[in-house]
Amino acid sequence: MPITSFGGLLNFAEKMEKQDMAFYESVATNPEMKDFSDLFHEFAKDGKKNITHILRTRRENVTEMILEPISDFFREPFVLEAGDGKNMDRAQILDYSQKMEARAIAYYTQGAVKIKALPEVSQALKLAGKKRIAHTKKLSGI
Amino acid sequence: MTLPIMKNYINGEWVESNGTQIGDITNPATGKTIAQVVMGTADDVEKAVQAAREAFLQWRQTPPLTRARYIFRIKDVFEENFEEIAQTLTMENGKIIDEARAEVRRMIENVEHATAATTLMSGYTLEDIATGIDCAGHRQPMGVFAGIVPYNFPAMVPWWFLPYAIVSGNTYVLKPSEQVPMTQTKIFECLDEVGLPDGVVNMVHGSKDVVNAILDHPDIQGVSFVGSTATAKHIYKRCGETGKRVQALGGAKNVVGIMPDANLDAGLPSLVTSFYGVAGQRCLAGSILAPVGNIADKLVDKFLALAKKIKVGDGLSDQTAMGPMAGKIHLDRVLGYIEKGIEEGATLVLDGRDCKVEGYPDGYFVGPTIFDNVTPDMTIAREEIFGPVVCVVRCKTIEDLIQLVNTRDFANAACLYTDSGAAARKFKYEALPSMVGINIGIAAPMSFFPFGGSGNSMFGDIKAHGQEIFHFFTDTKVVIERWF
Repeated sequence: MPITSFGGLLNFAEKMEKQDMAFYESVATNPEMKDFSDLFHEFAKDGKKNITHILRTRRENVTEMILEPISDFFREPFVLEAGDGKNMDRAQILDYSQKMEARAIAYYTQGAVKIKALPEVSQALKLAGKKRIAHTKKLSGI
Repeated sequence: MTLPIMKNYINGEWVESNGTQIGDITNPATGKTIAQVVMGTADDVEKAVQAAREAFLQWRQTPPLTRARYIFRIKDVFEENFEEIAQTLTMENGKIIDEARAEVRRMIENVEHATAATTLMSGYTLEDIATGIDCAGHRQPMGVFAGIVPYNFPAMVPWWFLPYAIVSGNTYVLKPSEQVPMTQTKIFECLDEVGLPDGVVNMVHGSKDVVNAILDHPDIQGVSFVGSTATAKHIYKRCGETGKRVQALGGAKNVVGIMPDANLDAGLPSLVTSFYGVAGQRCLAGSILAPVGNIADKLVDKFLALAKKIKVGDGLSDQTAMGPMAGKIHLDRVLGYIEKGIEEGATLVLDGRDCKVEGYPDGYFVGPTIFDNVTPDMTIAREEIFGPVVCVVRCKTIEDLIQLVNTRDFANAACLYTDSGAAARKFKYEALPSMVGINIGIAAPMSFFPFGGSGNSMFGDIKAHGQEIFHFFTDTKVVIERWF
């Protein structure tokens, strides 16, 4: 399904952050990862911050130009089935987390380019992506 | 299923009208009735004005900074309820959700601008206008003001006036459009949380009877109106008879000129949204597309290609680029104009009449429509269509273009796309409309600049919002003092 509008672009980001946040919250309570519980709580918190940030962008960065359509941008490459963080083992969790972060980074990077006519929105997406880049580094250290 | 019924808000309470006539509120995407409104009466207006009059004395004595703090609180509560207001707006008006969000944002920007009252409503003084004599001009609030607002921007337009009126120390009575009263009802629920003193803001739903009661009421000092030119004229005249201040904004027939040197690749997306944004139901929408010289064929081809891609549908879906007409009556009106265009000999390049949206068989949809070879004297080039219909009038020179702009019955907005500074200057200097865009498709002034046209597009002296609005809502009392 194509993403054709300012609202659509940010709505998908919100959904993605909510899904990822729920996964990290469940991982934080998984005994397999008890040594890293704080880290996954922190990731979930980052998700919450990104959601707030995305919703603020959708509320505030609204100009006439938001009505100009976005072209050649599709949801499908960024759709990831929700992971069951409670019942995965350590390897599965780390593998799935990296996949999640990679798709979020790709979404924010490509989305920022697609909406570059609205610099504040583009910047907001880059900022959200920055948090996800930091996550991948921390995950690699586990 | 019991439908919600919109109530009046008078003296800090939600109250039922004593009217007997009920109006249905329809979701224009589905054609289904989603709520109802009781058409208020002169008696409802009387109660609201009485409450506003009684609240005025204490409210005007409230320091401007304290009044501004209420306005800050209003901003907060609007931000908290932003999405809900936007969704309500789309549901009853039909515009797409991004357009609804943009509208709510414009509403809040007026609230933000009004918080500057301590500066913007300040008066001025001069010592020694004669030896030992000083003079001061104080801006004083005047009493009760009223707003009568249209269906196309049910959230934003009332807030072009209301926050400035109350922050200046006046009290207010609002009559929303009876077609879309749910949005302001939601907004007034937010206001109710702010805790303004009772009677400072009041809302009466209804139609003609409420309007006439407002226009004739001796205790209302001024009226702000946005709607059709015919009604704006009526309001201007009637308010004049009862000695009220009035700002009455009417219709438009906006021309967007395209010079041969225009950067089409950069400008086309904004050009298309100028004509099709809000399905053409806005007084700033482009209505006549006027290519100058040899760019015409290329422009029409490119414009047509983009127009064909516009996805029409339910505004609540983020896949939709253009929503329905706001009501059945508007749909019929637009279809009537398309018939008229064909009848008068314009070339129908893109026909939006048979617009079907899957899953929405009863929605009031019209697809993007384009007429080419329209001449300036045709009905579709003279009258306001208020729908997604583009009329291409080909011009030979910029002089022809300016002549076209200046011979419409309206003088609201006009835009020019060009790479030439000289052409831009000539256009902005000679075009009569009061809002001009250069390489901008919608010349919409933000809250800190005045909004309004001239000619038959506006009656009154002071436009909506901008710094000047504080003049509308205050009287300058001049005090000349000498002490012995």
